[in-house]
Amino acid sequence: LIRKPIFAIYSLLREGEHMANHALAAVESALRDRKLDRTLTTALAPLERLDPSALVPMDVAALDACVRGGLPRGQLSELAGPRSSGRMTLMLHMMAAATARGEIVALVDTLDRLDVASAAAAGVDLSRLLWIRGQDISGRAGSFGPADRRCGPAGPTERALDRALKALNLVLQAGGFGVVAIDLADVPLTALRQIPFNTWMRVQRVIEGSDTACVLLAAEPMARSAGGLTMALSGRGTWSGISDRSRRLSGVELRARVVSPRKRIDGAATVGALAIDATDRDLPIVRHAR
Amino acid sequence: MFGAIYGAEGSSPEALLASAQEFSPRVESVGDSRELVLDLSGMTRLFGDARTIAEELRRTAAERGLQIRVAIAGTRTTARLMVRHRAGLSIIEPGTEADALAALPLAMLDAIADANSPLGMVLKRWGLRTLGDLAALPADDLAARLGQDGVRWQRLARGEDAAPLVPAVPDERFEESLDLEWPVEELEPLAFVLGRLLEPLEAHLERRGRGAAVLHVRLFLIKTASGVRDVHERTLQLPTPIRDARTLRTLALLDLESHPPAGPIDRVVVAVDPTPARIVQFSLLTRPLPSPEQLSTLTARLQALMGETRCGSPALVDSWKPGAFEMAPFAPVETSDIHAKNDTPCVGAVHEAAHAAPVLALRRFRHPVPARVHVADGKPVRVTIDRRGMDGGGVRACAGPWRTSGDWWHTRGGEGRGGWDRDEWDVTLTDGATYRLFRARDTEQWFVDGVVD
Repeated sequence: LIRKPIFAIYSLLREGEHMANHALAAVESALRDRKLDRTLTTALAPLERLDPSALVPMDVAALDACVRGGLPRGQLSELAGPRSSGRMTLMLHMMAAATARGEIVALVDTLDRLDVASAAAAGVDLSRLLWIRGQDISGRAGSFGPADRRCGPAGPTERALDRALKALNLVLQAGGFGVVAIDLADVPLTALRQIPFNTWMRVQRVIEGSDTACVLLAAEPMARSAGGLTMALSGRGTWSGISDRSRRLSGVELRARVVSPRKRIDGAATVGALAIDATDRDLPIVRHAR
Repeated sequence: MFGAIYGAEGSSPEALLASAQEFSPRVESVGDSRELVLDLSGMTRLFGDARTIAEELRRTAAERGLQIRVAIAGTRTTARLMVRHRAGLSIIEPGTEADALAALPLAMLDAIADANSPLGMVLKRWGLRTLGDLAALPADDLAARLGQDGVRWQRLARGEDAAPLVPAVPDERFEESLDLEWPVEELEPLAFVLGRLLEPLEAHLERRGRGAAVLHVRLFLIKTASGVRDVHERTLQLPTPIRDARTLRTLALLDLESHPPAGPIDRVVVAVDPTPARIVQFSLLTRPLPSPEQLSTLTARLQALMGETRCGSPALVDSWKPGAFEMAPFAPVETSDIHAKNDTPCVGAVHEAAHAAPVLALRRFRHPVPARVHVADGKPVRVTIDRRGMDGGGVRACAGPWRTSGDWWHTRGGEGRGGWDRDEWDVTLTDGATYRLFRARDTEQWFVDGVVD
């Protein structure tokens, strides 16, 4: 197919840089004639990174500065970290900003973990949030353990995960959402590692060129999308009060490290998240005399 | 040319309307149910002159057992006044309406104008007795004294029409049915049948400027051995008027996947409840939402996949119960509405709102996870959770307890029986994770309510 154009390149390069441009044009023309000028990942022109409308800001100044404006639309990004690292906090904060801009958002809640009061406290316009609730299997005896194995390859966890991925696909194909998040944070790693890698490529393929930013919440990076961003999060609870009676959880110090597969963006930022309960609750009851 | 018919006391409105519709498709029901006005323009070519039409009308009504008065005139008002004034047939030649009405009593106007208007009494006090008296008054002076109502009454007295005839539109049935030669057992062939039925329905709705508010699918199952013929009926309430056949077919099929018929089908009936179609004004400045058709299809697909109650928008409820919420249909309002209400920036505009600090979120276990908590000095010091991936550990910091209870007045019971009565703790364990624990006060059992994340 491309023997002739390559030969043409070889011979023309010797004649000078100017002629090489003609050869390159000939190669591109030949590929274009055979519709081979585009690969799966370049079927649609990527949105310009510098365009503000091509980004979904996280609405946290330090983080937005770190990621140069926000998470890219039309790409699969990840918020990864252990428990209490602030994944849900950041995701709800980003959704709140998106709904305030008039966008609609969707959350595929694999194990039904969303606390609606937290979402409302974060400022999410709940009427613009499509919440797809999976099955909470945490209350079942041993559902993360031996019972899964007893159920064979399609245990409750795997079934919940499978349905969540299908739901994610449906939402992304429908289009029109500003942010679509899938919460896999509490799904056991053994189940997550069984997801075929091309699953994330298919997700990437669906949203490519769209205005949707797909966000994956997980314990560790999985998708490693070329165009998306991966934020590795860690958190440390901060407490106020010096006595037992006055002590309370005042917030969590979130440390985000941005990891880009192409190393285009790499940085770190630390932000504080406030516990709204700490100010709303009354003083704790005294249960023991000291 | 207009005709008016007035049925005798006790006449059936339906029979009266049927008689009128044999002569003209444009029939208006006015006043009480016994009076109809017909647009007879061009009908002379079919039936003959006005008198012939009037006689035919009476004869047709008589065949239906009705006794009617008939008046035919150049204007609706004249025909209506004459039919109420004179029994039998009244034919008023065009151009002579005012003369024909001049002798009629002024009280006749009460019936076709506004019976509650004090204008009739005012005119009577002026000494006017007939329509001719009112018609003869100078229009300018009348308008100066009585306003536009006075002018309108005078035009009626002269036999002039104040408004065009508004024909009554018969109730249309938006229904299609198909008898199948061979019973259908699978949903896939049924999809083709539904498509064939819904496409003409879509065209019908489009012609009338209507959309479907409710979709009815009736599947007639083949007769059983005992000769009983069951009907599997499904009704879909659509969130917005829809008439796209493909969308309706998809919604019907998704519903039938969840609620399949009990046996083979040999007759399919599809009907919709029509409603005025949706008028959408798009904006260049705001981000468009997915169309209601797309959202309906998406919601139906998600409900088929996840369950009917597991997709939608969350909504807070008026309760202190931890984790209380309810599900509402996902129906986002247009961005322009939000823009008007909240003055939020448009698409592409830089989000200028001050960056507020994120608010900590709780990842809540819908079914609290039992835990074993070692307590020393009234404080949890070690937490053990029998779940893989939740190992627990020593307590690094804690705060609490916060006591909360409720709904004990509705149900006799504590945790898990509708009510709740608990002491809550926030604890950070040695693995760095912060949990919300609670102790059920009735059972003294500890649970993990959620993880601060």
